[in-house]
Amino acid sequence: CIEESDPWWKAFSGACRDMHITLKCEIFPAGTDSRFIRAAGHPALGFSPMNHTPVLLHDHNEYLNERVFLRGIEIYTCLLSSLASVPPLPAEG
Amino acid sequence: RGQDPGEHPSVTLFREYLRLKTVQPEPNYDVAVRFLERIAAELGLGCQKVEVCPGRVVTIMTWQGTDPQLRSILLNSHTDVVPVFEEHWTHDPFEAFKDSQGNIYARGAQDMKCVSIQYIEAIRRLKAEGKRFPRTIHMTFMPDEEIGGFKGMQLFVKRPEFQALNIGFALDEGLANPTDTFTVFYGEKCVWWIKIKCEGN
Ligand SMILES: [Zn+2]
Repeated sequence: CIEESDPWWKAFSGACRDMHITLKCEIFPAGTDSRFIRAAGHPALGFSPMNHTPVLLHDHNEYLNERVFLRGIEIYTCLLSSLASVPPLPAEG
Repeated sequence: RGQDPGEHPSVTLFREYLRLKTVQPEPNYDVAVRFLERIAAELGLGCQKVEVCPGRVVTIMTWQGTDPQLRSILLNSHTDVVPVFEEHWTHDPFEAFKDSQGNIYARGAQDMKCVSIQYIEAIRRLKAEGKRFPRTIHMTFMPDEEIGGFKGMQLFVKRPEFQALNIGFALDEGLANPTDTFTVFYGEKCVWWIKIKCEGN
């Protein structure tokens, strides 16, 4: 769905592959703050690490299981290590 | 209040944040900013506040990389949540009740106070392990996303403080997925905000 050659996507999807996480790429069905980030010229991904969870945003009885929440912290630990280590890009000299 | 000695401290912090009433249309942003400032101090992170318009403060926490010339990673989240119809809830939506299955009920549990605390706790762990990375990581905490971001991110991206973040790549919220898979969004639909005026007769 996103270009394999993109260094940020490579870092993101590579970290997910290492964690044996399956990703499904989609277009967000509404508007979030990331539209302003993208409009300002910066690549952005929308990601909340919640699987095995019904979509309950804005709904009654919105909940999240604590095990899913804690796994999400581990996922970010891995993602951040990968993203913050992306080698200098051509544009960065 | 609901303090379980066997509870993971990250879960306890998440529940504490869920109890802050940053609910539209009059979110208590002051209490959220104080909460975030406390965490920045705890983690030893730089903390900057940018009031993009009166009463609308963007909080920025920064973990400096070893090569600050490189473009940074932005972890964005919003602090406000949508309103509730309390009569339809089985638990108080601002109590962060946890049932015997470990399900935590609260407005904001999915959208998106979970993500804000996950960013924070991931950085807390990496710092505790003594890790350092070349790229700087910024966390931004935004007001007013749920009402369009017009007094939040839309103003913030025009500010010199935003330019100074020198962003290379950003993460923001996604959505839950009921299956084993995780959803990732690489774009979004174009939103048209329409004002409808109905006159009675
Ligand atoms: Zn949201």
